Parts: sequence; structure tokens; C-alpha cells
Amino acid sequence: MTYYGGHRGRSAGVRRGRTWSIAALLFLIGQLGIPLLGLAQDAASTAATVAYRDIPQLGGSRNIIWVIAQQHLLLAGFVLGVPIFAWVCEIVGVRTGDKRYDKLAKEFTKLLTSAYATTALFGGILLFMLLGFYPKLMAYLTDIFFPSFVVYCALFLLETVTLYLYWYGWDVMQGGGRKGLHLFLGFLLNVFAFFIMIIPNSWATFQASPVVVAEGSALARAWAATWNPTWWPVNVHRLIANVVLGGFICGAYAGMRYLSANTHEERVHYDWMGYVGNFIGVFGMLPLPFAGYWLMREVYQYNQQMGITLMGGFLSWLFILQAMLIGVLFLGANYYFWLGITHRIEGSEVKYRRPIMAMLVILLLCLGVWMTPHSLVASLEEARRMGGTHHPLLGVFGVMSAKMTVVNIMILVTFMSFIIYWRAGKVETATWAKVAQKVMAGVLGLAAIVVIVLGVWGYFVPAIVRINYFSVVQVLIVLFVLVTITPLTGLLMKSARTTTEMIWGRMPPRAGYALVLNAVMVILLMTLMGYARSSSRVHWHVYGVMRDSSQYAFSPALGYAAAFMSLNTFVFCLLVAFIFWVATMGDKTKTMEPETKKKLPAGAYPAMAGGSPTLDDRNKQ
Amino acid sequence: MKGGLLLKGEVLLKKCGVFLNRGGVLLKGVLLIVGLYLFLKFILPLFTAPLPANLIFLYLALTVAGIVIFATLSSESTEEFFGPIVRFLNGERQTGPMKIARLLVLVLFPLLVGWQTYTSTVPSDMPPAESRTIHPAPPGEFVGLSNPIPNTPENVMMGKGLFAAFCSPCHGANFDGKGPAARGFNPPPANFVDSGTIAQLQESYLFWRIKKGGVGLPIEGMPWKSAMPRWELELPDEWVWKIIMGEYDGAHQKPRTWE
Amino acid sequence: MSEVALLQLIGFIVVGLGVVILLFIQARFIRVVGFVIIVLGTFALIALGIPQMASLPPAEEKFDVATIKTSADMAAIGQKIFFSKGQCALCHSIGPSESARCPDLKGIGAKLTREFIYESLTQPQAYIYLDYRHGGPPKQYPARMPHINKNPIGLSNNEILSVIAFLQQMSGEPITVSPSEIMQPTAAATAVAQAR
Repeated sequence: MTYYGGHRGRSAGVRRGRTWSIAALLFLIGQLGIPLLGLAQDAASTAATVAYRDIPQLGGSRNIIWVIAQQHLLLAGFVLGVPIFAWVCEIVGVRTGDKRYDKLAKEFTKLLTSAYATTALFGGILLFMLLGFYPKLMAYLTDIFFPSFVVYCALFLLETVTLYLYWYGWDVMQGGGRKGLHLFLGFLLNVFAFFIMIIPNSWATFQASPVVVAEGSALARAWAATWNPTWWPVNVHRLIANVVLGGFICGAYAGMRYLSANTHEERVHYDWMGYVGNFIGVFGMLPLPFAGYWLMREVYQYNQQMGITLMGGFLSWLFILQAMLIGVLFLGANYYFWLGITHRIEGSEVKYRRPIMAMLVILLLCLGVWMTPHSLVASLEEARRMGGTHHPLLGVFGVMSAKMTVVNIMILVTFMSFIIYWRAGKVETATWAKVAQKVMAGVLGLAAIVVIVLGVWGYFVPAIVRINYFSVVQVLIVLFVLVTITPLTGLLMKSARTTTEMIWGRMPPRAGYALVLNAVMVILLMTLMGYARSSSRVHWHVYGVMRDSSQYAFSPALGYAAAFMSLNTFVFCLLVAFIFWVATMGDKTKTMEPETKKKLPAGAYPAMAGGSPTLDDRNKQ
Repeated sequence: MKGGLLLKGEVLLKKCGVFLNRGGVLLKGVLLIVGLYLFLKFILPLFTAPLPANLIFLYLALTVAGIVIFATLSSESTEEFFGPIVRFLNGERQTGPMKIARLLVLVLFPLLVGWQTYTSTVPSDMPPAESRTIHPAPPGEFVGLSNPIPNTPENVMMGKGLFAAFCSPCHGANFDGKGPAARGFNPPPANFVDSGTIAQLQESYLFWRIKKGGVGLPIEGMPWKSAMPRWELELPDEWVWKIIMGEYDGAHQKPRTWE
Repeated sequence: MSEVALLQLIGFIVVGLGVVILLFIQARFIRVVGFVIIVLGTFALIALGIPQMASLPPAEEKFDVATIKTSADMAAIGQKIFFSKGQCALCHSIGPSESARCPDLKGIGAKLTREFIYESLTQPQAYIYLDYRHGGPPKQYPARMPHINKNPIGLSNNEILSVIAFLQQMSGEPITVSPSEIMQPTAAATAVAQAR
């Protein structure tokens, strides 16, 4: 193995014949020297000559970093997302007195401990690899961000302590005031986790959107670099996406267990757990396009060149792939809701067949528009007949106005699927129920019409009006629908009489597969957007500041990248499966304890429970 | 145009949906797919330019997904949908024509796959399909420039005059990309009246395209995939800015702005 | 076999394997794995189906003293530095711009002398305008400009001179920086060391 700095690594492949064990040994020796190189800035004469190192025998430095960083990021997303909803589940459990939620939260916190260790492990590997492969870049980043490194380490200590207290204290802190303490620990856990997420975000976003770092104290410099233009958009986007990831992985785990369940109790439990996971994932997903939209706006504002590279240039096809994945995700999530309606609620199949079909048709029409690319792939002959790669009619579907409109409609449809599921098998008894229903239908219909009108109108106004006003209004309308109808339905359901109880554990196997599919889609989306984020910097380590002069400065083609994304997704799924398997190995010997439940009126169960659990008790007997 | 197509699609899908409700899910599904294919392939081109094959495939795939989703919602409809397929392929208690049909399918399907593989890998004289990015990212030095020439009627008039002299042979006197020299170019010269061209772009972007021409396109725009000359060799910057103003005015478009 | 064809072949094999698993294996976990690899393989095949395009980095600009013959050469190099290593364009624009965070540099070469520009680049706080806009006694308004000749940007003396040449040329002024001022590599290295 040879070190080469700044040159296109012709020499790198020369010694390929050497066995890689020797290479690895040399690499380890090299690793020992790295801290010295990093620290010895005054003696820059030796350190500055080594800009890059490589292990071509293992696929090259970039591919190694790609896999390791992706695994670390996915695990981290999971580890940060799960505490959020474990904590929420715990609160719901305390509020309703339903032990199932507490059990669910505990089940996931148990996974958290081993997942947390694995995340840290991959983080450590990533750090060593980065130090080894990119000494120049790392020296530069360390120079700017050293104070936040220290804070990051301190946060890690706090997070670890809190996590251990939270998990090992679960059973001890059950009764009375101690439960409050436990909830507070959960809150602390999430606060630390949030800061642990946003600090590395500042490093990554600084690479994408650097600001000029002037003279000053180390702290002032780090602070200035941290507040770069895309930092908060990425923070918000990732926070929501982590919840989505946690929810859908929870769903996939439940789906998996549901498929291999042997007893009726298991089927009931995992059917319900899959429902909760899907619910959290879907509800997290609804505001995600808005967060993404904000992020893209900031990118455009920071540097249009980067914005165009992403949306209209080299990476534009990537967004078609993204649209496909999101489309499948929307279909999968709705499919699961609809399966729930037809299988869990007896007699509802005939009743809801037509509304479901209407929603399906609307969803498919929206997806058709959503997936139509702006620039088409066409053979020469086809292009000639069309008159360029711009189709006169479908070019209309390719622009932002159409995409924003259909994604808002898709969100509304998904939301409607959920509302129908929620209300299925119940009869409203409130005196004002008729009025409320009319109001809700009106709000929904009106919102859809306004969104479409704004979308069509958007073609006839300057881009700036569309972006600054129309799109924002569309988003606000959809959010308004979400925040008005949800509590209204909640109120209605509180007094509703249940005519047909929900029966858990009767879903067909394809529901389990749908849950797995949704999780795979979310993971694939994250790997895809990781590639987008990284490629939008093109040949820069730090955009416009530090150039990538290694042999890997090019951005690989999408097909090659997609193969890596698939590989990363598969490896991550296996990792998670392994963690789950290890963490639940002890369970099989234990017998399920009989559960005691407080009896509550049917409507008092939160939306997340998907109805009242009274029939579950009957089923269990 | 868009509303019309949506309406047509909706009506078509709705009609087919009514069919679907009356049972025979599998048959109606197949009918829907065939109908949609015929519509996209043969009827739509009567009104507008033909669709490329992969887009038709995308829409058909979406429809198939929709049919499968709808058919597998309940256990009964799943059985109704997949039952005939499974029974046909199983071949239990089949006689006469069905038996022969099953054998034919079992023999022909692998052959079809093989033929498909062969045709996709055999060398052909067709140029490969291209995904040309129409508006690639401009280089850094052209980002964020704004037009230094004041927008006065005289300047716009002068810009139109320069446009007539240098640009109209290809881009057309009516700014519609149909100049006398336009025929034969692939891709055709841009049509500025179309809201998908200069209305989507900033003035600085046009400045880049006019100055550097087709040669200056980056890889995703495929260098040399445009016959646009490199006008920086012949026109001073001031003229280029005036031409840009003339173009926007003549095509009744407004440049894109960000704030 | 090309890389794309190889990846496609792998993709087809993976999907085929998944189909075989779903057809013939009953174990639940393995079936789910089969399902997942079908999904992943299909995704990769779709991505491989569109025309493949890698984005190559542009050729790297090197500041080579030997190639500089005229002042115009210096200005050309200065322009490259302005938009890349110098990071000037992160904040400044040339001509009015919506996204600029700092003063517009259009015509700056005509407004300011060469020495003043040099001082602004290397000692940004040396001459600060008083701010009268916000009422009360005029305040000093410290420049947010970093020292260009120090880290992290750290342009060498030669590079700064080239940028000045570019700024003058862009403003339509005669370039007062001459190639003879460019220091030879050894001298330049000591100058940079001193500056640090």
C-alpha cells in the first residue's frame, strides 16, 4: 500500500498483487501515525504532503466510506428516532392506563441499547477511516470545529448515562412519582439525542454550504461555521425523517414477527404493533415534503448552481427515482390502511369499497403526474417525433407547480384513508355529529379544490410568486386540514358508539409484506438522498472552498450508485434483524404475564390505538 | 390541455371502475390495461406528440399496481383475481384447448424472456436513448449576475434588432424557435414563447448560454448536443444583455427571479 | 463486459434468486429476505435502465509562474482564484445581485487604487467606514471580511496580485500589476511564511 498525496493515484493499483493482510497491517501502522500528523500542524512539511490515503484492494476509500457512513447514519437515525416514539408511547401508556403501550415502549428501548452500541461502533470505524483516508480535509474541519467535537463527546457521555438509567430503571420506576421521573429521563434522552444529531449535521452542512470563517477565538469560529445556511433545514428534515424511519422499522419488525407468529396472542400483539408503527411512520411522513421543500429553498438561496445541479441538472434523474420510491411508499401506506379496514372491521368491505376505489384512482392519477420526468429519456427516433426531449403536453407535468399540487393531494388522500379507518365500525352519537361531518367534508373538499386551483394558476404567474406565495399557501392549507380535522374527529369519536369492533390478528400475510416494503422504501430513500446530498457538492470536499483532488472526485453514475444503495439497504436490514434477534433471544423462554387493564370508554383510546381494545380481550379468552 | 387530459383519464378510469365492480376482476383488469395502452399509444398521439415508450410503460405499471392493490384488498377478491391464474398454471383437471393453452404459455413465456434478453443485448445501429438535461447548472462565474443595462424602450428595441440580426435565423422572428434555419437541428432551437424555456430561467442563465453556446454545455447537457454558436467570440457583453431583454419582451415572458 | 452490464446481470440474478425463494421456500424469514432482495434488485435495475452519466470534475487550475507572460494572463488566473480558492464569490458579486451578502465589486478596480485593494484584502480592519445610518453618534462598523492572506483562505502574494489584476481588468481599467512583480517560487514561499 502506498501513500500518495494530491495526485491521481496511478501508483495505487500497481501493488494490487500484495495480499491484503499485509496491507491491512500497514494500514493499522499508518493509523497509529495519523493523530501525530493531524496535530503536527507546525511541522506541516510532512503532513501537508499526504492529502489522501487509499486501500484500493478493498474497493477504494470512497466506497468504504460510503458503506460505513451510510450504515452509521441509518443506525443513528434509528437510534434517535426510536426514543422519540418510545417516549411518546410511554406517555400515551400512562395517560390511558393501557399497558400495551408501556410494553411496546419497553420492547423498543430494549432494542435501543444494542442498536446504540452498534451505532457508536460504526461511528468509531467511520472516524478512523476518515482520519486515515482524508487527513487534509479532517485537519481542516478539526481546525474549525474542534470546540464542537468536545461538546459532542460530552453529550455522548450524558446520552449513554441517561439511556442506561432509562432502560435499566424501567421496571424499578414504575409506580407513582417514580414514573414521572422515568418520563423525565425519557425527555432528557431525547433532548441529548437531538443535540447529538444537530452537531454532526453542522459539520456536514458546513461542507455543503460553507460560510466564511474569519479570525476569532476557536469557539467563535466554530459557532460561525455551525450556523451555516442549510443547518436548520437539515436538522428539521432529519428529525422528522428519523421518526418516520423509527416508525416504519417498528412496523416492519412487527410485520416480520406477525408473519412468523405461532400463537393467537402473538398475532394480536404484532398486528397491533404493526399498526402503531405504520401510524407513526405515516404521520411523520406527512410534513416531510414541506421540510424537504424548505431545505431545497435554502440550497437555492445559498447557491443556485448547487440548486440547479440537484433539481434540474446532473442529479435531476435522481429525483425521478425519489418520486418513484415516495410513490410506492404512499401506495404501501394506504394499502395497509385499506387492508386494515377490510380485514379488521367486519362487514366494512362492501361499505368502503367505493371510497377506497375513488381514493386509489386519485392517488394513481397523482402518482402518474408525480413520476413524469421533466426531461424524458427517449430514443433518437422518439425524440424527433416529439420535437426534442421536451414533450409538449407532458412537459407541463414535469414542473414544480404540478409536483407540489399532486403531492399535497396525495397527502390529503392518505390523511383521508386514516380518517376513514378511524371512523369505520362506529356510529357518532353526538347531537352535532351531522354538522361536524358536513364541516369536515366541506373543509376537505374546499382544500382540495383550492390546492388544485392554485396549482393550475401557478402556470400563469411568475416563478417567484408561485414559489413564495402559492406553494406556501398550498402547504398551509394542507396543514390546516390536518390540524382541524384530527381533533374534530377525535371529539366525535369520544362519544361514538362502536357497532363493529376491531378484530386484531386477522390481517393476511401480505399486510406483513406491505409493512416490510414500506420500511425498505424509507431506508432506500435515505440512502438515495444521502447520495444526492453528497453529490450536490460535486468535486468539492467543502463546497467552493476545498477541492477534492483525489481520484474519486467524480460523482458516479446513478446505476452504480443505486447498486450501492441497494447493498447498503440490505446490509442495514440484516444488521437490524440481527440486533432484534439478539435482543429478543431471551424472551422466548419467558411466558407472557397476564395483563391488567383499566376499563375505559371506547372513544377514550387514542387515535394511535386505532379503536377500542375491548374485543381484544374477548379474543384472548 | 392538462385539465382535458386529466378529465379524459378520470372518465376512462371511472368507467373501467364501474366494470370492475361487477365482478370478474381479472378480466376487467386486463381489459383496463389493454384499453389504457391503446389510448396512450394510438389515441393520444392524435391530439399531441407521441409518448416515449418508457413513459407508457411507467403509466401501465402504475395501473397494474393499482389493479393488484384493489384486487387484493379482501380475501374474496384476491381469490377471484389470482385463483384463475393459479388454477390455469397448475393445470389440474384441464382438458382440451385449456391444456394446450397452458402448455403453450409454459413453453412460450421462457422463449419470450429469452427473445427480450436477446433483443436488448444484440448490437444495433440505433443510437442509445439519451437523457439530456435541458437546463444544466451554470458555472459559478455566471451565477447571480443581473442585467446591467437599464430596461428602457430604446434598449429593448435595440435588443430586438440584434435578435433579428443574429438569433432569428434559428429561433424565429416570432421567438417560437421556427426560424428558416431551424429545420434539421437536433435538438431543435428553443422556443421562447413556451413557458418551459426562458420563463423558467434567470437572465444570468441566458447570458451564459448565449456567451458559451453548445460547446460550453457540461456533461449532463451533453457537450456538442446543441448547435448554438459561442457568441462571446462575436458579440460584446452589452449586446448580449440587450438581446436578452429583447427576447423576454418579444416572447412576452418574464425572467425568473428569486426574491 | 461493461460495468453497467455486469451490474445489470447481478441485479437480474438477485431478483431471480428472490423469485425462486418465494416460489419454493416456506421459512418465513427467508421468504421476507427474498421479498426484500426482489425490491432492492428491481430498484437497482430501474436505476441502471436510464442512461448512465458520471459527473467528472473539471481540470484543476494550477498557479504556474512559468506560464505567465502578460498582465492579461494574470487577470485570467485571478478570475479563477476569485471564483474558487479565494472564495470571494461566496459573499461578493460582480454587478448587482440578489444573493450577495457583501458589497458589489463591479467597477471596484476603477474606484480604488491598487494599494487600497491590497490593504483591504490583507488588513480588512485597517480602514473602516463610520456608520451614520442608525442615528446617534456614528459607529464603527467592523468589516466581516477575513484576512485573505491568512488561514483558512491563505492566498499567496502572487495570487492576491492576480486577483487585483482581474478586478482592474473587469472594471475596464489598465492593469497596473505587471508580471515582473510575480515572485519566483522560492521567494514566494518565504513571503507566504512571513505572512503567516
